[in-house]
Amino acid sequence: MTQTASGRPLTPWLLIIPSFMLALFIISYPLFNIVNQSVHDVSRFGLLRDFNGLENFRTVFADPVFMETVWRTLWWTLGVVGGTVLVSVPIALILHQDFYGRGIARTIVMLPWSVSLTMTAIVWRWAFNDEYGMVNVTLQKLGLISGPIHWLATADWAFPVEIGVGILVSVPFTVTIFLGGLSSVPSDIYEAARLDGASRWQQFRRLTLPLLRPFINMAVVLNVIYVFNSFPIIWVMTQGGPSNSTHILVTYLYELGFRLGRPGEAAAVSLVMLAILMCFTVLYVRMQPKESEGA
Amino acid sequence: MMQIDKPKLWRSLWCWLALAPFALIVLFPFAVMFFTAVKPPEEVFTYPARWLPSSFRWQNFADMWEAVQFGTALKNSLIISVLSTLIAIAVSVPAAYALARFPFRGKGFYRQFLLVTQMLSPILLVLGLFRLATMIPYGDGNLVDSHIGVIVSYAAFNIAFAVWMLSSYFATIPRDLEEAAWLEGCGRVRSVFKVFLPLAVPAMVVTAIFTFINAWNEFAVVYTLIRSDESKTLTVRITDLVAGRYSVEWHQVMAATLLATLPVSVLFAWLQRFLVKGLSLGAVK
Repeated sequence: MTQTASGRPLTPWLLIIPSFMLALFIISYPLFNIVNQSVHDVSRFGLLRDFNGLENFRTVFADPVFMETVWRTLWWTLGVVGGTVLVSVPIALILHQDFYGRGIARTIVMLPWSVSLTMTAIVWRWAFNDEYGMVNVTLQKLGLISGPIHWLATADWAFPVEIGVGILVSVPFTVTIFLGGLSSVPSDIYEAARLDGASRWQQFRRLTLPLLRPFINMAVVLNVIYVFNSFPIIWVMTQGGPSNSTHILVTYLYELGFRLGRPGEAAAVSLVMLAILMCFTVLYVRMQPKESEGA
Repeated sequence: MMQIDKPKLWRSLWCWLALAPFALIVLFPFAVMFFTAVKPPEEVFTYPARWLPSSFRWQNFADMWEAVQFGTALKNSLIISVLSTLIAIAVSVPAAYALARFPFRGKGFYRQFLLVTQMLSPILLVLGLFRLATMIPYGDGNLVDSHIGVIVSYAAFNIAFAVWMLSSYFATIPRDLEEAAWLEGCGRVRSVFKVFLPLAVPAMVVTAIFTFINAWNEFAVVYTLIRSDESKTLTVRITDLVAGRYSVEWHQVMAATLLATLPVSVLFAWLQRFLVKGLSLGAVK
């Protein structure tokens, strides 16, 4: 029985197989299907017609909207991930302090996490409404603006607003990771540093930041993957509009596949995204310092 | 009486001041939800707009419940999230145990496989997932519009995360405890159930909560695979109310988002300390 066979090399595989099969099943066929669609002429109902080689890719790359979207996706990812880290480090440092009401403060900071991205996007879409939205109402009451700003109807405003919402929803997860990192730092090294006369800023630069580095790396990698693939915020707030000025690759892909009836091209976009993510992962693995395999 | 800690008082003041801008932005959407949800409908679109309603109209919630079929959507969300979480945990616990306890050939391969599945987000594969669902016969038609397709894909997409979290936690459970049980004549399998699993419960709970939240919040897959109103989840039902409509009943939409959000927020506020602990444990390794 398994009991006596536990030393055999088969046991770990038996334990792994259910998860392996399930993940393989859900990923392999769709992936195959996307590759297949990308090299065929596909009808709007998903019917494969003639093999057409790289025609879909050529069409996609020739589309100026696509190229703009690629650049915008880059800005989106950089903007949201960069902004999130910049906001999260000080918040995590504060929440790591011992102060009155820290539990409440932590709960407030974590709160955006509990709201689904879709709901967040819906609420902010209403809040940014031109005439009836509470953002304009509040800004006008405070005397910061004289008339309503057309946030989501203006290309120059809509995208930065969406980046802001993206940052807001990514902060809780990132702060959580940083808090974990900070709590793993032994406090006696700070005492030693203080005795040596290190200033607060020096302590931060020389001790906290280097010790936090692995956690920042991890937060950046995970956030890049999440943000790059993030669909609901932009889809719900502007659907890529006005006039395609807020599309990122995922929303563009969805529109091609399910709105405009061009699944072949959408499949090609999927594969381009996959290639970008692969490059990013390889880059990340290369950048990792050589460490012994963790448990 | 306790002495008032002066330095701590000052520190608290500074901390709160520094957090205030972010806290205000976090609370802003909750205020928007609440004050819009209780406005009489005719006051939602008056110009100049105001924060406060002339009177609180709680009836909005009851109207919304009917109009949105909130109960049905809530039930669908719960079914999908609970079942996909259970499946994900059920297949991830043994895999994580294997990773944490056995050296074996193919370990590196399996880890890389997990990394790839983590990268292939549902939205990247959504076209293929849709085709897969149309191919599998189920009932009178196929898996499009059935919950099963959504549940299985959510479970699959959460495996990588669940295995990582669980295995790094499992690695911190001392091996000696199990070995001591073997010496007392407890078989390996029995010792897992009697000694190991009880110790692993907190990790499983934290992982399950994260998986549940992921499933509860997922949008792209359910938006694509589920077509009929009676099978839709809360996120999709509520999105339907605003997407592609000329006029939106914002007081109902906000009542719905508030009702869909508050229970989760309260639960989250309560569980928050465990989540921080759990995620950082999972993150350390």
